[in-house]
Amino acid sequence: MGKFKMTMFGLWLTLTLMVALGSSVLKNRVQVLERKLATINSNIQDDIAQIHVLKAEWSHYNTPDRLRKLAYEQLSLENAKPEQIINYSALHFNYEDGRTSSAVRSDKKGLTTLVKAEVKKN
Amino acid sequence: MGFNVSFSKRNNENFYLPGQEIKISRGTISSKNYTTESDNVMTCRTRTIVTLCFFALAYLILGIRVSYVCLGKGINIDAAISEVTDKDVFRFRNPVKRADILDRNGEIIATSLPTVNLYANTKQIKNPQDVAEKLNYVFPDISYEEFEKKLSRRGAFIYLKRNLSPAQQMQVNNLGIPGLEFENCETRIYPHKNLFAHVLGKTNVDNEGISGLEKYMNERLTSSTKPLHLTVDLGIQNKIRDELIAGVKQFNAEGAAAILMNVKNGQVVSLISVPDYDPNENVKVAERPMFNFATKGIYEAGSVFKVFNTALSLESGKVKVTDRFDTSHPVYYGRLRVTDPHGSHGRLTPEDILVESSNIGSSLEISLVGKKFQRKFLQSINMDKALDEFELPEIAKPQFLSESRWGEVSMVTISYGYGISSTPLHIISAFSAVVNGGLYRQPTLLEDSKHKSKRVVSQQTSESMRALLRAVVVRGTGKRANVDGYQVIGKTGTADKLENGRYNHKKSISTFISAFPESDPKYALIVVMDDPKASKETYGYTTAGWNAVPISKNIISAVAPQLNVKADFDIEKQKSIVDAAYKAKK
Repeated sequence: MGKFKMTMFGLWLTLTLMVALGSSVLKNRVQVLERKLATINSNIQDDIAQIHVLKAEWSHYNTPDRLRKLAYEQLSLENAKPEQIINYSALHFNYEDGRTSSAVRSDKKGLTTLVKAEVKKN
Repeated sequence: MGFNVSFSKRNNENFYLPGQEIKISRGTISSKNYTTESDNVMTCRTRTIVTLCFFALAYLILGIRVSYVCLGKGINIDAAISEVTDKDVFRFRNPVKRADILDRNGEIIATSLPTVNLYANTKQIKNPQDVAEKLNYVFPDISYEEFEKKLSRRGAFIYLKRNLSPAQQMQVNNLGIPGLEFENCETRIYPHKNLFAHVLGKTNVDNEGISGLEKYMNERLTSSTKPLHLTVDLGIQNKIRDELIAGVKQFNAEGAAAILMNVKNGQVVSLISVPDYDPNENVKVAERPMFNFATKGIYEAGSVFKVFNTALSLESGKVKVTDRFDTSHPVYYGRLRVTDPHGSHGRLTPEDILVESSNIGSSLEISLVGKKFQRKFLQSINMDKALDEFELPEIAKPQFLSESRWGEVSMVTISYGYGISSTPLHIISAFSAVVNGGLYRQPTLLEDSKHKSKRVVSQQTSESMRALLRAVVVRGTGKRANVDGYQVIGKTGTADKLENGRYNHKKSISTFISAFPESDPKYALIVVMDDPKASKETYGYTTAGWNAVPISKNIISAVAPQLNVKADFDIEKQKSIVDAAYKAKK
């Protein structure tokens, strides 16, 4: 066998072994990844089922009757009445430019301090 | 240009490489003919080596790349996974196939939960009695006898129990009995129980819609898991239902219904009919709680129809808001004697006719307009047909007289609300058109609905009607619904109940239809009380002004702030409220 043929044979053998080994490793890694993907899919499915349960539970906890009861018991809140919803212009403190109205400024014991304190508190 | 191809004579003693025996003479190209026979072997060898080198190079590149990818760190797997855009890679099965239903704020009002059903392959069960005993221990709600009966049957698929909880499933698994299997399924849950019973309806054990929206939208709900957005509002629905239940209790009524509708687009914000039922429970429900009075209950609305009578009279141009009608004496139409139940009122304008709810005045108005225009107008506001496009299967077709039976007497009785029966849904849809500027919009429960609108009255008639209806609330039968700041407009109606084709004068259905605010109505509300009883508080009256109207006031007071309807309060009055609040704190 000539030198050239030996070289060629060696080259082909090396290449074949490289490709065979590479393919084997590749197949193995793909299998690992497929198993990982299957696990991920299974976990997603379980999570979706769990999310459905949690959503239903959340909705159950948010029933208006329960919230109203909690708001009343824990926060002393009641339904807003129409007369409680007022226009900005009815307030003595101008929220937009941060100044009080002249009516309040003229009143030394006016509501300015009270309103400011209220705003600060909130 | 051409090629002269000739085949050399085959010499069997010689070895010819492929193509060697084909000689190409390019006589037409070159003046000199020549053969390549002497170079053939060399050419083939060269070509073979070039080809081999090419393949070897390709093989080398492939080998290096594969080795690099597999043995080295040629590809960052995690990065590659994160770059995956093809969703098909993630082939997970959504355990729930029926889409959720959400209210207009995105709150879940119907959802499905993945569960399992327990079934038995009785061919594999050797001792049914023993298995029945064990199962009875896990499921005390099912008797031993029932389990034994099922397990004694021969079959590969016999349901033992549906919708097991995870704990129950684990308990059955722990029994370790061969032949007991689980089937994956889903069950429909209505977290708010009765609240949306008549809107949503319910599903059967196979999770198929059998009533309400679940039935009407069954295909949509099962074909996509994308949630279905409705126009109803959880908080408002709850408030209105509470008020209706309180009203039914207070007035000892047989039932009640209410619809709150956005007059600008026909969206139904709330739809309630009581009594109702809990769709979560798989038990047989009595007929009345299953009956959706709001969309299926056809009844004669009584004086509420005077709204449409006045609107069509003004629209015809034959009646003006300044006209006066003499209502001091009963009026006769053939054998029909029209009187006013509240006594004589003298000469009334159309506004007074609505305020006093005068039957005589209404009959005089329609006499000027005529039955043809009346019939045409009522047809234009869909009083002659079922509202098929509304997304509930429980709808009813109004009882609308045929043209031949639409005589003078019918024309007159219809003018004050007798002779045509319709549903609360029909009435509120038509009323919305009268007060919203004159456009009739199909009622809908779906947020993305694109129903077309049609003009039924002019802008001017609509404006006039709003002013007339405001007078009813300010100084008429609807004054108990006058909520400060919201300029409520409306009309009451009380009609004797029709039972087995005869009017029962001891039973009535009272209605109050309203809208707010008068200047630019945004919402319309109808409240219907079925057979309310008189009490001390109502001074013996059962008319709408004593029951449906105060209920409407409570509802409007509570829901108008939630609906972001701007209250039109006197600024000075508001300032005094603020002052008082701060001074009280001081």
